[in-house]
Amino acid sequence: MSEWVRVAELKELARRRKTQVTVGDEQIALFLVGERVFALADVCIHEERSLSKGTVFRGRVVCPGHQWQFDLATGWVEDQERCQPTYDVKVEDGGVHVVPRPRVLAEAPEAAD
Amino acid sequence: MPNQIVTVGASQAAAVATRTLRRRGYDGRVVLVGDETHLPYERPPLSKELLAGERSAEDVTLLSEQWCADNDVELRLGVRAERVDTQSRAVVLEGGSRVEATAVLLATGCRPRRLPGVEGGERVVYLRTLDDALRLRAHLRPGARVVAVGAGFVGSEVASVARGAGAEVTVLETLDVPLERVLGRRMGEVCARIHREHGVDLRTGEAVESATETGSGVLVRTTGGAALEADVVVVGVGTVPNTEVAERSGIACDNGVLVDERCATDVEGVYAAGDVTSHFHPLVGRHVRVEHFDNASKQAMVAGKVMAGRKGRHAEPHWFWSDQYGLDLQYAGHAATWDEVVVRGSVDALGFCAFYLDAGVVRAAFSVGRGADMFLVRELVGAAAAPDPAKLRDEDVELADLLPA
Repeated sequence: MSEWVRVAELKELARRRKTQVTVGDEQIALFLVGERVFALADVCIHEERSLSKGTVFRGRVVCPGHQWQFDLATGWVEDQERCQPTYDVKVEDGGVHVVPRPRVLAEAPEAAD
Repeated sequence: MPNQIVTVGASQAAAVATRTLRRRGYDGRVVLVGDETHLPYERPPLSKELLAGERSAEDVTLLSEQWCADNDVELRLGVRAERVDTQSRAVVLEGGSRVEATAVLLATGCRPRRLPGVEGGERVVYLRTLDDALRLRAHLRPGARVVAVGAGFVGSEVASVARGAGAEVTVLETLDVPLERVLGRRMGEVCARIHREHGVDLRTGEAVESATETGSGVLVRTTGGAALEADVVVVGVGTVPNTEVAERSGIACDNGVLVDERCATDVEGVYAAGDVTSHFHPLVGRHVRVEHFDNASKQAMVAGKVMAGRKGRHAEPHWFWSDQYGLDLQYAGHAATWDEVVVRGSVDALGFCAFYLDAGVVRAAFSVGRGADMFLVRELVGAAAAPDPAKLRDEDVELADLLPA
């Protein structure tokens, strides 16, 4: 049984480049950067602000609350050493599909500098 | 001797430096010497969520005992450092015992500036520590009379929490408008309006002559001749850097421990980070001392990297936030002077960003309810951008498009 759930239309996401969807208990923020879609838990792990209201820049989404910068692909916040859950996401038949099962990195990625 | 880094101070800067050291592969021992007895904790919630009872003392802990044990980090709490022996490089504790060090991080923070005639006590709180916040919190009840001395960020946040708790709040401010030196008159007036719209009796141009505990309350007298009875008084009138350890060690200080962009002091192997530093900042072009959580964290990351043998440089714009009456206030950059304030958004609706321009260059910005803009604002400040003010004002123009190519 496929776990993929169609949650949004690419055409609509393309208009605002970010949106929030709900699948079961999961509130998911979707971001379109170039042609790639990223899916992260919408509720910031820090103080529960909505990441879909954040700013996307250089591969990261910045939370409007305390400016934590989450890597769009991994959810990792370098200077906090914490991880926002992410979701598997793909685009098919003009629709954005996610697996509504949050994932967090098992271990910290290699420090960049 | 094996590698051992000792921090003097065990708060935000020390905790972040410690985590950075471990993350960057430093394999020596780390010892944190702190004069408070609590586990390292973060201070911003002390005038916000913790004061409001939304977070507990445990919630604000930065390093747990377990994490320290797992990471070979020793906490020496409730211990005062006397000085750094810069010759043999050791931290000398009060009483004379020594903690040998291959490098030392001074992270002693700052303390509230004391007002003459206003002695701290059970009901007169100079807010800095967790214990101060818990003591103040016990007084914030419906109908309680709260007087905040100073309408800076501490006084303003306490006023907000106290109103939320149903207290009657008076704020006394010596300047004509709150935060006038930082924000200027127009934005200071916005802050005044926010207080008054939330039922605070804000009295500007009013200095405090004395505050005396009477047993069941506090009698506050102002220089204007007013006498106010309060159940509790909180004083937030600036800070003084805790430079004593550095001074006793012969380390150069000038309104803070002088450090460069790498957090290095003038003594080899001794670094400093956080509120205690007067740090050279390339965007400001001189040494500055600020008391921002983010600055303490950023400097500590740099110090941690440098002590771990990596490259680090603190050059990002300063940034801080304040939560008041459910509003999100943020400020980025550092503007001592400016010649133009450009507003993007609506001041009336409290959803705006005010840019401080000096000779056309964006030096800083203050926002209310516009946190989502602040990342790009920081980029603009960091790039010393000089955008067309008309475009800056125009919300149809994306801030990202105003960044220099």
